[in-house]
Amino acid sequence: MKKWMIVLFMGLVLPGLIFSGGAKEQKAEVKTVRFWYHFDNPETSVKPLIEKFERENPGIKIQAEMVAWDAYFQKLMTSIAGGNPPDVSQIKLWWQPQLVEMKALAPLDDYIAKWPGRTDVYEKIWELTRHTDGKQYLMPLQMVILYLYYRADMLKELGLKVPTTREEFLDVAKKLTRDTNGDGQIDVYGFGIRGGRGGHDYWATFVLSSGAEIITKEGKSGLTTPEAIAANQWYIDLFRVHKVSPPTTPTDGFNEVIANMKSGKTAMTIHHLGSAKGLVEVLGDRISAAPVPRGTKGAWTSFGDEENGVLAASKVKDEAFKWCAFLATAENNALWQKSSGQISINKSNGQTKEAQENRFMKASVESTPFAGVLPAHPKVAEFVESVWPATMQRAFLGQITSEQMMKIFEEHFFGKK
Amino acid sequence: MVQAPRKRVDLFPYLLLSPALLITILVIFYPIVRTFTYSFMQYILWKPTEIKFIGFDNYLKAFEDPVFWISFQNTLIWIGGVISLQLLLGFCTALLLNQNFFWRGIARTLVLIPWVTPSVITALMWRWMYDGNRGVINDLLVRVGILSSYFPWLANDTTALYAIILALMWQGFPFFAIMILAGLQAIPDTLYEAAEVDGASALQKFTRITLPMLVPVLFTSLMLRIIWVANSLDIIYIMTGGGPGYSTHTLPVYSYIRAYKGMDFGYASTIAVVLTLLVTLFVSIYVRKVLRMEDRGAV
Repeated sequence: MKKWMIVLFMGLVLPGLIFSGGAKEQKAEVKTVRFWYHFDNPETSVKPLIEKFERENPGIKIQAEMVAWDAYFQKLMTSIAGGNPPDVSQIKLWWQPQLVEMKALAPLDDYIAKWPGRTDVYEKIWELTRHTDGKQYLMPLQMVILYLYYRADMLKELGLKVPTTREEFLDVAKKLTRDTNGDGQIDVYGFGIRGGRGGHDYWATFVLSSGAEIITKEGKSGLTTPEAIAANQWYIDLFRVHKVSPPTTPTDGFNEVIANMKSGKTAMTIHHLGSAKGLVEVLGDRISAAPVPRGTKGAWTSFGDEENGVLAASKVKDEAFKWCAFLATAENNALWQKSSGQISINKSNGQTKEAQENRFMKASVESTPFAGVLPAHPKVAEFVESVWPATMQRAFLGQITSEQMMKIFEEHFFGKK
Repeated sequence: MVQAPRKRVDLFPYLLLSPALLITILVIFYPIVRTFTYSFMQYILWKPTEIKFIGFDNYLKAFEDPVFWISFQNTLIWIGGVISLQLLLGFCTALLLNQNFFWRGIARTLVLIPWVTPSVITALMWRWMYDGNRGVINDLLVRVGILSSYFPWLANDTTALYAIILALMWQGFPFFAIMILAGLQAIPDTLYEAAEVDGASALQKFTRITLPMLVPVLFTSLMLRIIWVANSLDIIYIMTGGGPGYSTHTLPVYSYIRAYKGMDFGYASTIAVVLTLLVTLFVSIYVRKVLRMEDRGAV
């Protein structure tokens, strides 16, 4: 009986143990990289790129998860606090200070130094994405530069030129604001302002180009100088005094602003390449683009970026970087941009005929010299997410003055005096 | 001396209850305890090295924070407005649905549509209906001549909160309607017949029979709704994000914004604790009042 049991054990259990060990060993060879990303258009897929990467790197599996943009930052932060972040995540530049403060990002300098593709990425992107501690935590992925969308047909109809300065812009916006059917109601507004979340880019375009600075080079506030308050007042007046934007401005978000352009409710707005395809689908040649107008101190437009970061908690950092590097390589990055609708970070992709002939791409490229980012301060994230929208809306509603608004911003960054 | 036989404790029922108890502890009690603990801490998510106990500082901060008081006031308007309108509309609907008409069955089903519509859909639907540039509400009001031009209902600080109250009234009234309808159908016809014999008018029948018989149903549904409405966040957040400015900030919205936009979980927990205490106070006063009425035999 005992002998029979030993034979059974040898015959059935041992091979199982041996093979399961083998399987484990085989399994251990495949490393999984968890990747979080988002596209403005939820229908686009990253699958072809994953398949290509997995073919080229048989030992690595990419487990991608598309995260809704509205909840992206909070989901990332809570996943870090909860100890279960992804290995690679798409990251906005203004999240970086908080993530570095949390020690949540892995420095990538050593990896990048060995990566042959680094020279094909625009130097300006490396410059803008380098953290204030001198380390590089982010791998460039895509860029967008905000520019002015305008209704070419409406400007032509009224014999107007594309505005290049703040004053010209106001003049054009006033002329474009009109009652087109004679019923006494305004049918077209000159400029679609985004008063809700995300509208800080519009505000910064006009206010930071006319004397305001969130943090000066000396590390002080540049928000409450008479010049800065006046620049802010000019922006508030677009809505309150000149009424060149729709009455819904205080709460208009991305969807409303773009819907207003598509329906002809507004004649100009500010956004990036991400909305070009949708606008052209509806408006065709009637929509065109140009760099944003200059302020009193020069031009400023928002460098809308997105990078990939390798999370410090990742146990597969080498593989995670390989995936980031794969996405930042010209051929793959061009494929990525087909889905994201944004601009490649590679010099070689910028030289394509398509990139040079596209009017929206052209406006983006022409805006590159004066594209800027908000300061690398841990409080920028909260400023963008909640402080700016609530305060801007209060100013638009006349609840606070321009000076009070700028003082609220100053207190947010520098504390109460 | 003979010792009384020890009563044997049967552990089996407790064993059967333990999974449910364990889940309740994990899902309900643990987060409550954590929220109370956080409310006494400086807990900013991106400053993990500076997490510390700060006593009542967050509560004192709330006391001095004007946005907290705006949110507090808005919460009271929100609860009062939504509950009273839902109750009124629900009551009228229940009385109508209690009548005999040939499509009563369909009407009872249709009335449930707003209640079964997810809050996110309700919020998005109403947001576009209120849209100040192409919304159907503005279109209708202009067509019938009530408005001369489109009005930005959600972008105006005086109308935004009330516009959302109306949207939630639409979503929540079927709950009252169905509860009250169930209560109405439980009232025996004999009471009305007796009242008829005694020569009672329709109003007398309503105030002396219908209303008193409905009190237990109204009590339960009101209490549940107060708790749900006080906690509601999704519909406000999707429709306005708490804006314009702070005009639609209620305590849950403010707590959410502090937690997930400011990453300040300590202060956000304090706001949540204050809301919990407020609702508990509200409900306990209400329960006491109803129990006293019952003792007096008014019910």
